[in-house]
Amino acid sequence: MTTNPSELAERVAGVVGSDRFTSDHGTAKVYVDVSSWVAAHQSLASDMPFFSWLSAIDWAAEVAVGEPPESDEFEQRYEILSCVGSPDGRMVVLSTDISKDQASIPSIADVFGGANWHEREAAEMFGIEFIGHPNLTHLYLPDAFEGHPLRKTFPLLSREVKPWPGTVDVEDMPEGSAGTPSTENPEDAG
Amino acid sequence: MTTADRQLLSRYHSEVQVSVELQTPEMILNLGPQHPSTHGVLRLVARVDGEVITEVEPVVGYMHRGYEKLAEVRTYPQITALVNRIDWVSGFANEIPFMVATERLMGIEPPARAQYIRLILTEMARISSHLLFLSSFPLELGAATPLMYALRERERVLDLIEGLTGGRFHPNFNRIGGVKPAAGAGSTQKKVVQDLPKGFLDQTREAMVQVRSVCDEMVELVLGNEIFQERTRGVGIIPADKALAFGVTGPNLRASGVSFDLRKTDNYLPYSDLEFSVPTGDNGDGFDRYSVRLEEVVQATHIVDQATDLIPAGDLQTKVPRIIKVPRGEIYVRAENPKGEMGYYVVSEGGRGPYRLKIRSASFSNLSILPWLLKGQLLPDVIAILGSLDFVLGDVDR
Amino acid sequence: MSAILDNFWALLGLKVLLIALVVPGVSLVIIFAELKISAHMQSRVGPYFAGGRYGWAQPLADGLKFMQKEDLVPRDADRPVFKIAPMVVLAGTMAVFVIVPFSPSLVVRNLDLGIFYALAAGSIGTVGVLMAGWSSANKYSLMGGLRAAAQLIAYELPLVLAVVGVVIAAGTMSMVGIVEAQAEPFFHLGDTAIRLPYLLQGQFVGFAIFVIAMLAELSRTPFDMPIAESELVMGYLTEYSGIRFTMFFLGEYAGMFAMSAVASTLFLGGYYFPGLDSSTFGPIILMTKVGLLVFVMIWFRWTFPRFREDQLQSIAWRWLVPLSLVNIAITATLKVVF
Repeated sequence: MTTNPSELAERVAGVVGSDRFTSDHGTAKVYVDVSSWVAAHQSLASDMPFFSWLSAIDWAAEVAVGEPPESDEFEQRYEILSCVGSPDGRMVVLSTDISKDQASIPSIADVFGGANWHEREAAEMFGIEFIGHPNLTHLYLPDAFEGHPLRKTFPLLSREVKPWPGTVDVEDMPEGSAGTPSTENPEDAG
Repeated sequence: MTTADRQLLSRYHSEVQVSVELQTPEMILNLGPQHPSTHGVLRLVARVDGEVITEVEPVVGYMHRGYEKLAEVRTYPQITALVNRIDWVSGFANEIPFMVATERLMGIEPPARAQYIRLILTEMARISSHLLFLSSFPLELGAATPLMYALRERERVLDLIEGLTGGRFHPNFNRIGGVKPAAGAGSTQKKVVQDLPKGFLDQTREAMVQVRSVCDEMVELVLGNEIFQERTRGVGIIPADKALAFGVTGPNLRASGVSFDLRKTDNYLPYSDLEFSVPTGDNGDGFDRYSVRLEEVVQATHIVDQATDLIPAGDLQTKVPRIIKVPRGEIYVRAENPKGEMGYYVVSEGGRGPYRLKIRSASFSNLSILPWLLKGQLLPDVIAILGSLDFVLGDVDR
Repeated sequence: MSAILDNFWALLGLKVLLIALVVPGVSLVIIFAELKISAHMQSRVGPYFAGGRYGWAQPLADGLKFMQKEDLVPRDADRPVFKIAPMVVLAGTMAVFVIVPFSPSLVVRNLDLGIFYALAAGSIGTVGVLMAGWSSANKYSLMGGLRAAAQLIAYELPLVLAVVGVVIAAGTMSMVGIVEAQAEPFFHLGDTAIRLPYLLQGQFVGFAIFVIAMLAELSRTPFDMPIAESELVMGYLTEYSGIRFTMFFLGEYAGMFAMSAVASTLFLGGYYFPGLDSSTFGPIILMTKVGLLVFVMIWFRWTFPRFREDQLQSIAWRWLVPLSLVNIAITATLKVVF
């Protein structure tokens, strides 16, 4: 059982039937099609029974807060990530894309019990529907909350008042300071 | 109910029926959010039949601070100060996976001395977190004295951490590329790189000796106590396959018999230079979870002893540009936090802050097993089970 | 003076007054002892500021603080029952002192049915606990009250059965009579007469059962499920504040005093110590023995975690009751044979 990320990514890709995989920076990541999302997890469940987490990334060109992605050609989508592993230390991230207009994906809560809460969180934060999930109610947010906070279009109130990156995020050193400022201060005092 | 569940329940029913005619209907009992023994603001809505719980739903989110959204509007160095408040009991350990992730994306490596200091502080955070558990769990069962003994030793460790970093729980000591040059020179002088405080390593070794002695006391006072054993043996058993499927990690998983320790499998800190053993339990009940954590404290003291001997000389931080921009890439780094596996999935698009930061916190997954675990348990056992899982609400809610 | 001592009613009134003063006083001392002893067992100092550097005025200060608190009765509570419940508990405890002999003459009334009366009067407190739990209109209190009632009822039986062994050995139920029976020589070593308390005369099983049942009757750890603080807030005491809470609190420590006095009279020899004159030293001897037992109870409280309710019940019914029956059988056999 190899723990080398690139070999692992290749092997897992073979198991789930995918041809896109990377192992940049030591993280084995396999891209699967949304139609085989559940089947991929089922085929991995016996070899990799450890479920770590499930979440989503909102790839959007227009952002209300933060910085937009650097490259200007990418497809606007939600990328669903799930991370499974095994007790001997192997770990792989499975990724699939769903479109923003039809943000729904089958739930893997039957395959891995831990996905239950993670899917609830992703659903309320991104507005993604997980088909077949037993109890898709709000986990963190109050029941009456409107909106999906982790979407890039959801503004942060403090950033409405003071747009990013803000005038001074880190305060200046007091008067009379000499010498080079510390390396962590991104706002050059000069 | 399966026959296994029935057998388990029948072990708990006492042979005497107080009164058969009194039919008490099922009651909805609300534990929390303010309750002496839920570790923070956790609300359990339980349907209770007499003393048996038929269904429970945990309501979390009282402490949700929106870390992942906040991280999108912070620079990488600023996020360091943010994340050690996730699991506030073991403050230093929360920063480690994020630091390693950022450094790997940038392609830099911290110097060996910085890595050893990180390792020592992480293990001290582990000792501090576990000592708090070892003292508060018997308190919930009614024994008040272990609290005093364990917290006394915990103060020694916290004093050491404070002497080095300036903070007991939120040290904010990591920097991208290493650790902060200790005891900074202040605002009116030219910054001088200073190293560990004088006598730090010797005081650490002394403190570790005392921590080991209090662990011996705990073994006799708590583990050897028949009443404690009766309250925790066979209570809240998590089978290994369920634990893995739900994502339970850390001492909870190891108590169920699965020897899975990220310090041995991943190399985010130089654990491979040191020798230590990973304790596991047999049954996955509350007693095993307690004894696994007790043994982990002893092992952590051995790690710290070895690290204080092996710590090399050198710089405390590699040279990084003043304004840190991390090149494009995605990475997932995880570390063995005292509560379990903590990981950060960093998606960087080349800016000064991450495009997306997914925080995988240990107590969130540890808690997600509660609806399955608490079904059919007795009400006094609920407190024992919650206590034995050792979760922190900041970790659950992020 | 002798007029008062001769008049039956005046004498009775004087004795009752004495009990009403002494018992709370001793309870305060026991409270202070608990604070200090538990502190030193936990490497702490305990009360420090109230009363010089030693903190002896802490219980007094607490008492004064409670007395000036607001008198809260929850809106949905059953007012008369809510108000009477603490008095019932306290009355049950105080009633035990009628037959506790501090010396052969210092006893409120030396009833022939001494110990029988004490056990009966002491169990009035159970009703008070149930009243408190029910009338508080609070789910937590109700559950605490139910648990408490179950526990108290279950442990009545071992308590009573453990005492039967002593009664058989002494041949009388009067408390003074039991102490005098222990003052009889047990055997003779040459010329010296050896006098032993019943504990050492073979009633050690009975003593153990009595102490365990006593802890359970007083709801002390390891049997303090009814007021398990970390689980149900304060159980049946949740809604009580101010003076009513003080009555429960004082009742617990007065109960410790009462039960320890009964236990030391039955098993440890009461006011009698070989070689010392009972009339003058009696109270001191009895208080010493009471102090020993109270120390042991405090020690247990801060060492052990608490039992779960069903474990508690199974100990009472499966272990203590059969053991005490065996104890009675053996004692009766030995009494007849020897």
